Amino acid sequence: MASANRGIPNWKAVQAAQHRRQLVNRIILTVVSSLILLIFLYPVYFWVTASLRPTREIFSLPPPLALYEPTGSYWSVVIGGRSYNEVIREVAGANAGTGGGGTSGYYVIPFLQTSMIVGGISTAIVILIATPTAYALSRFQPRGKQNLVFFILSTRFTPAVTAVLPLFLLYKDLNWIDTYHGLILAHTVINLPIAILLMKSFFDDIPQDLDEAAMVDGCTRFGAFRRIVIRYVAPGMAAAAVLCLIFSWNEFLFTLYLTRSEIRTIPVAMSTFDSSSGGTEWGFLAAAGSAAMIPVFIFILFVQRHLVRGLTMGAVRG
Amino acid sequence: MAHSETILVRAPQIAAETSSRRRFWSGNNPWFWLTPAIIFMLAYSVIPLIYNIYLSLNEFNTRKKTFEFVGGENWTNLLGFQVNTTNGLQIVFNDPRFANAVGITIQYVVFALLIQLTLGLIIALLLDARPFGAGIMQALIILPMVTAPTVASMLFRLLTHPQFGFISNALYTFGLLTRDEPLIGGTGRYALIGVMLIEIWQWTPFFVLIILAGLKGLPPELMEAAEVDGATWWQRLTHIKIPLLRGVLTIAILFRLVDLYKIVDYVFILTAGGPGGHTETLSYYGYTFFTKANWGMAATIGLFLMIVAWVTAFAYIKIFKVRW
Repeated sequence: MASANRGIPNWKAVQAAQHRRQLVNRIILTVVSSLILLIFLYPVYFWVTASLRPTREIFSLPPPLALYEPTGSYWSVVIGGRSYNEVIREVAGANAGTGGGGTSGYYVIPFLQTSMIVGGISTAIVILIATPTAYALSRFQPRGKQNLVFFILSTRFTPAVTAVLPLFLLYKDLNWIDTYHGLILAHTVINLPIAILLMKSFFDDIPQDLDEAAMVDGCTRFGAFRRIVIRYVAPGMAAAAVLCLIFSWNEFLFTLYLTRSEIRTIPVAMSTFDSSSGGTEWGFLAAAGSAAMIPVFIFILFVQRHLVRGLTMGAVRG
Repeated sequence: MAHSETILVRAPQIAAETSSRRRFWSGNNPWFWLTPAIIFMLAYSVIPLIYNIYLSLNEFNTRKKTFEFVGGENWTNLLGFQVNTTNGLQIVFNDPRFANAVGITIQYVVFALLIQLTLGLIIALLLDARPFGAGIMQALIILPMVTAPTVASMLFRLLTHPQFGFISNALYTFGLLTRDEPLIGGTGRYALIGVMLIEIWQWTPFFVLIILAGLKGLPPELMEAAEVDGATWWQRLTHIKIPLLRGVLTIAILFRLVDLYKIVDYVFILTAGGPGGHTETLSYYGYTFFTKANWGMAATIGLFLMIVAWVTAFAYIKIFKVRW
């Protein structure tokens, strides 16, 4: 109004000023959010770089941001299979020999393989069982459907410590401890409830008319499912599969109870690496931990969009 | 004419008679689809559950390697009832370590949940206000969440190491803690905070993502209308955004709540319940019986924990009308 009174149309200047203010606000916003993000990312950075530093640099305070003397020694043991004794002298110098047990145990490739096998097969079984179940829960209204959903949820809400004890004792009687099939079935049952309800939400997104059109055209319901609906739900299946793979990869307590030494997935193997009392060898641990993290970070790229949906069993559509 | 009429009248009946077996395989019967999963889940959840109840009523004799029926003794070891004149019927803890574990678990659940929720809300609101690179930030903040809990615990063990840990030393520098009473170790007064640090680091992103998903779903016209009507940023947040986010927040809290009860991985790696039981959650206390081959007590604590988790979850689902 003031500008109109003076008769000078300086609205452009007003607008420019407002834009500038908005830009400044946005820059402040960016700085603040980046700082918070960096706090959350720092531990990951710290851990991955610790796997590349000589021992004394891991402990220097405050931890340097840059890598001054990068070394691949830990990694050469962890994934390259070089002998521990040879490498410890390189990274620890005069302090060599302070390390405790687990001297040959840092080679993680076998554990990663186990993780892959267990995760891969259990995920395949999960998807195989969950897909028809999810379809039925989405398309039919059988009596007691809500109870069935609660039953599925209740398995998700059961604490691991509760579920694993009877399993452990049953497995002992069956001689299933430390076997692939035992561990794979256990991982299957952990992921099954998540996959069923997650995939139900994907089926819910596909209009019922699609099945009905196929059935009008002469397909049986099963035929409609097999030929038509499954193609539309395939991306959802893939997302569910990757999520199950990640959950299986990170699973700890079941694997700890149900395996001894033959079959160990990477998280459980990690927990045994520092069981020795003679000083934890952080460089090796960091390298092994990073080796466990990196595959998951790659997997997650594929399912980032569906992550929220997966973590809430389909209740929140991301 | 009469003949065809008969057929028409009988048509539904004929259809019904056409081999119920064939109709099962055509897939119109819901149980055709549900059977595999139900068999699997019965085998893997009902049998263990029944076995668990059996175990909780027995004691394992480690010398004879047999189970001996003890009735409710495992339960009364933990909990008892007491009738007194002022309060009537009262539940009392017979095992101080169990009472301690319950207390630790409650503290852990309440504080971790509140902190995660608040931080998650703040970060989500920041990212929702479209800073530069919001998409990349949203992608990167997932990383803590998908790190294996074991690896995360290991990493925080180094960061909170009383001597070399970056976090510990930062706390010493700021005078928040002293070397005599570090975060992890010492008398263990602050150890639970150390465990919560991992929890918060890993699971705040969960709230960020879910709240962001909820914020994306809000109609933008509503915000504009409120802004035109002169609502301040705070008013828009508390009167429009948060009420509309209710559904999303409800589900996020449900999942975290149930998972927080079960916390064991972090404790296992970071503190092993110590020092002095200051980080001994219910899950971990159950685990200690497992290591002693005291299956009866381990099963009892497990069942107790399960009942608490189920009652909480399903009461929550009923109260907040969460639907699947």
